[in-house]
Amino acid sequence: MTQYRAIGMLGVWLAVIGALLVGTAAADETCNSPYIAKLIKGQEDYVYVWTLGVEGLGDGFDKLVTVDVNPKSKSYGKVLGAVSVGTRGEAHHMGLTDDRRFIWAGGLAEPKIHVFDIGSDPAKPKLVQTITDMADKSGYLGPHTYYALPGRMLVQALSNTKDKGGVTGMALYSNKGEFIAAYPMPTDNGGDGYGYDLAVNPKKNVLLTSSFTGYINYMRPLGEVVKDAEAMKKFGNTMVAWDLKAMKPRKVFAVPGAPLEIRWSPKAGDNWAITAAALTSKLWLIKQDKGEWQAKEVGTIGDPAKIPLPVDISITRDGKGLWVNTFMDGTTRYFDLSKPEAPKETYTKVTGKQVNMISQSWDGKRVYITSSLLANWDKGGADNEQFLRGFTWNGKELTQVFEVDFNQEKLGRAHHMKLGSKSLRGAPTPR
Amino acid sequence: MIRRGGAPALVLLTWLACALPTAAHDAEPLPALDFEPPAPGTYTLHRIMAAPDGQVLGLDGRPQRLARFTRERITLLGFIYTTCVDPDGCPLAYRVFDTVRDAVAAAPALRDRVRLVTLSFDPARDTPAAMRRYAGSRLRGGDVPWLFLTTPSARELMPLVEGFGQDVRYEVDRSSGAVRRELAHVLKVFLVDRAGFVREIYSSTFLHPQTVLNDIETLVLEERAR
Repeated sequence: MTQYRAIGMLGVWLAVIGALLVGTAAADETCNSPYIAKLIKGQEDYVYVWTLGVEGLGDGFDKLVTVDVNPKSKSYGKVLGAVSVGTRGEAHHMGLTDDRRFIWAGGLAEPKIHVFDIGSDPAKPKLVQTITDMADKSGYLGPHTYYALPGRMLVQALSNTKDKGGVTGMALYSNKGEFIAAYPMPTDNGGDGYGYDLAVNPKKNVLLTSSFTGYINYMRPLGEVVKDAEAMKKFGNTMVAWDLKAMKPRKVFAVPGAPLEIRWSPKAGDNWAITAAALTSKLWLIKQDKGEWQAKEVGTIGDPAKIPLPVDISITRDGKGLWVNTFMDGTTRYFDLSKPEAPKETYTKVTGKQVNMISQSWDGKRVYITSSLLANWDKGGADNEQFLRGFTWNGKELTQVFEVDFNQEKLGRAHHMKLGSKSLRGAPTPR
Repeated sequence: MIRRGGAPALVLLTWLACALPTAAHDAEPLPALDFEPPAPGTYTLHRIMAAPDGQVLGLDGRPQRLARFTRERITLLGFIYTTCVDPDGCPLAYRVFDTVRDAVAAAPALRDRVRLVTLSFDPARDTPAAMRRYAGSRLRGGDVPWLFLTTPSARELMPLVEGFGQDVRYEVDRSSGAVRRELAHVLKVFLVDRAGFVREIYSSTFLHPQTVLNDIETLVLEERAR
């Protein structure tokens, strides 16, 4: 029996909400920070998977796993290596620096950020630094989204060290790992103070943020959270548009149901972003209308009554398509975004017993999916598949082409992904 | 006292409308910003890092310390190489520098407080003589200093490149049939305060004379408030 069956329908619904809330972030080539100039527009060679350690499985520590994904390689679909960080801190998300030489990765259970060098040898990442001062300098806990700014990394946290609730903020670091500033999420003018994802549109000078919940919820066993009515009230219901240059909140939007991942359309000239609200299974559009930013509900993901639990989303490079993974039913869905005010679901496929993150190549022809949400919230028993699965997409059908079984390989729970390339090997000295 | 969003911004708009291309890295006029930037002095530019120091060469070929050109004035510094043809790279920086200098020169409250520094990261090709040719007419006249610097070799260059976090690497270009090693970089321009701290780093996505000038004014207002 799985965890979810044990807690009943109400529990399932609540679990869906919670699960959705924790599992996403900027994922792939089409969803990277616009300040990352070295996008991989051809065949990627590697997928880096930030993996939660599991006690008793391998070394039990969180680790960065490198998988060969080039079909022309002899080791295609195989694990090339794994770098453990020596602790188990609920590994979750990661982000590339603007020069794409480093990956910053962290866990939700601790205010630590691990920095991996992927530029010196993209096939063999190295742990080169661990930043430990976020709690002391900002008071924030649970670094979640790592968003590259020029020469800096803006880190969205989920919680705080004082009461470990959902009121939190963003911490700004230099690329060298030196703390620069903290920016609290707004608690006035309709703001709830919660944070989750962030995404920038530099041409419009806009930073968008979304909202989830705090440590006291996301680190508790799911069964406990869903039985605690007060705890279930402590989820985010807002998004915020910030003046990016000034780093000041400009407008708070009411977006009920824990809005999670934020994706700006990558198409030049587009002025909108889309997000999925976890608890309501709704798509929301944030768009500039007559100079004013507005949030509008524009679509439904699956049948909300069946609790599909949308987790990660990935937008195509032309802004005309959106992949959505729904955790509970293990389904990968494709939405036609040709009319962003009216997204239309055009394809579905069950890709696992539980699915969370989804990433795509720049050309959209390759899609990668992982399985884990959180250590305490993943399904149990035979439903606790842990994998990286690679697919091809021809515009009509997803076809699985490889799988790495993270349980069998004794690696842990596969979570966030970033793509890598041999061509991004680090900077040879000009002579 | 500088009025927030006042005369310098007006001067800038005039220069944006009238700026003429005169150098190899000039091109079509810069587009207008697609948003209303916050007024100078209404936001904070945090200290990002200390600007690194190291040996550079001026146009006369004499070795000097870079710190001499990143202190005592607000400095807009950009790495370039003179053979760069990426329209979102060095040519963009050149156009922005050109416009900013003219706008600052026309603003009495700013002209004695600002300098521009263009530093090559291709010491093999960008000798002092090459930098002199690249600078062209920018060396003549004007109240706002614009320094064109290079380095003797990669040995002196790399600590500066690494210190600023300016990524640079070789890419192999096979498009012409012959293998050519080309320098590649992500454009970054650094705004350094009088004390030598980097206060803003611009990339091609938001490097624009109007935002740069607002930031310069913000630093000047900050100095005057002390």
